[in-house]
Amino acid sequence: MLVTMDGGTSMKATVQRPDRYGAFYRSLEGAAVAPRGAGLSFAAASFGHAVTSVELGAFDRILGLDHASQSVEVEAGVTLGALFQYLFAHGLYLPIQPGYTKITVGGCIGADVHGKNPARDGTFVSQVVSLVLFHPDHGTMELSATQERELFHATCGGFGLTGVILTARIRVSRLPSRRAELTIVPISTVIEGAAILRSASDEPGGVHAWHDFSRRGDGFGRGHVRILRFASDAAEDAPPPAMPPSRLSADRRGVLPMRLLNRWTLRAINEFYAFSHRSGRQPIDVLRALFPIHGSEAYFYLFGRAGFHETQVIVPHGQLQAYLELVRSMAERFQVLITLGATKFFDGRSELLRFDGEGISVAINIPRDRNAARFLAELDRFVIEAGARPSLIKDSRLSRQVFDATYPESDRFRSLLRAWDPKRRFRSELSDRLGL
Amino acid sequence: MTTVIFGASAGVGRALSRALAAKGHRLFLLARDGRDLEAQARHLRTVYGTEVAWLAVDAAQPADVVQALETSLAGVSVRNLLFPVGMANDQDDGLLPAAALSALINANLVSVMAVTSCLLPRLLEGGGGNIVGFGSVAAIRGRGGANVAYAAAKRGLESYFESIRHRLAGTDVRVQFYRLGYVASQLTFGKQLPFPVVDPEWVAERIVKRLDRDTPTRHLPAFWAIVGALVKALPWRIYRRLRF
Repeated sequence: MLVTMDGGTSMKATVQRPDRYGAFYRSLEGAAVAPRGAGLSFAAASFGHAVTSVELGAFDRILGLDHASQSVEVEAGVTLGALFQYLFAHGLYLPIQPGYTKITVGGCIGADVHGKNPARDGTFVSQVVSLVLFHPDHGTMELSATQERELFHATCGGFGLTGVILTARIRVSRLPSRRAELTIVPISTVIEGAAILRSASDEPGGVHAWHDFSRRGDGFGRGHVRILRFASDAAEDAPPPAMPPSRLSADRRGVLPMRLLNRWTLRAINEFYAFSHRSGRQPIDVLRALFPIHGSEAYFYLFGRAGFHETQVIVPHGQLQAYLELVRSMAERFQVLITLGATKFFDGRSELLRFDGEGISVAINIPRDRNAARFLAELDRFVIEAGARPSLIKDSRLSRQVFDATYPESDRFRSLLRAWDPKRRFRSELSDRLGL
Repeated sequence: MTTVIFGASAGVGRALSRALAAKGHRLFLLARDGRDLEAQARHLRTVYGTEVAWLAVDAAQPADVVQALETSLAGVSVRNLLFPVGMANDQDDGLLPAAALSALINANLVSVMAVTSCLLPRLLEGGGGNIVGFGSVAAIRGRGGANVAYAAAKRGLESYFESIRHRLAGTDVRVQFYRLGYVASQLTFGKQLPFPVVDPEWVAERIVKRLDRDTPTRHLPAFWAIVGALVKALPWRIYRRLRF
């Protein structure tokens, strides 16, 4: 039985975990397959009905570092944590990466994830120099922004539907310092935070805002902006940060039979969080700065077996106030508990299925219960009318109707996919649900 | 001085190559598929900066293995020989045809013996070293349901290691033999097994730690020694009824 990280989609699945290339190629002989990385996605991109999931965890090797071009070549199953440890020793890092160490590079490419500062750095595809894709009907192909460009862009953010990424060459950046510093700027509203996010968008470390959406009235959305900077003293002798093992997985997340988050426990957690992140500057471990979820996995367990919903939407600047008002009023109407709120500034261009655009992304978590679906349906209506764009990998219940209305190139992606793979060898619950 | 790992592409062999590379060993990797070896060698060179060479061989063809090895290792000093090599067959229920039987016995037993015979003189001339063999708990007591020939080959291998340990007693070449329990691999993945499965990295860490010690035959994990003793002690009239 495979389940998504949010607990929203689960199904019996055939899973293969090849540990060598011969077995890997044999594992793709099935009628329908889906490549699978760490299995931590909120949406079911790596499994589906009558689909064989092929786990790539054994293909986790770092194949070479080219100092001249500042790029590292890796197999797709390497985790961000392993790559971080290797690059750190060479004074390098990936500026664009999500906040958890167990996520694989293949998963980052497939979902074209964003990092701490998407407005400045773009999404993961921005640092993919090239990749090697395997499809049983086409063999092995090298793709880049200049070689097989369309297929490259359909693969980066294509959710594993064009084939299996075997290896990738990723551009790396010099780690400005082995020490980091977090600046906390308290904010009273999301709009106030959005202005700071915009003005601080050239920060190389990253910037995002945390909001307490569990408050009613004027306090709704209160929180702080977190600006990450690398320390100016280039402490080359700082030891590599210890990386305690993490055992978070989608199936283990639901180990608690009941939800421990309610209005009172959430209030206590948020108050404690706000208190521990008061105004000012504080040194922060580079590992903790780049991977804030590492060490904070307990949060996901608090939702219990039923799980949670996450929705992340890029809201056009002019629509932000209206969206927040809708979130607030619908949360009150449906008695929905918003357990987490976060915003980021986006200033890019969406292509095919890529989660990018111009505006402020608003991410919220809510426990999965009866009212949650009605609450989210109201947000969906707004998203369509306002020209906003929801993240496909964060929301496991997003419908084809919402997808088609918010991704203008959805049909172009379908055409590309059918031309490349008429038999549709690569499928998943996500692709079935979105009609891809 | 070079460490040879026969069966280095996956599982315990791959984990051993990482653990030994981390300790600065110069490595020579052997396995069937060059694609795996190439990737593994590049990883070890990139991450650990160690010298790594590799050779793709079919363990079911011992004579070819030895011939290729003699050519590739000409003039190379060898200090350690590790044999995490193995081949199993889903149809190994006692009725395998001769060719399949021959491949199983060759890969699990004869190739190990042949490579040892080929390289042992270098260990002796070079001032000593280690030879490490890997058995299986499947060979504790013969059973008819599965792994009939595989278990026979592994039991034979254990006898062989006992013999060369005896032969090399008093020299600087140490001979170690590990009976491995369930180790995570694509063969164990998804199976409901009656005992815990350990990661290859866990196994490799312990083997590397004990390298250069005069270690008698050991079970990894150690609790398998108790399981093995109990299985061996079962009276035949009970054992014959077991289906596992």
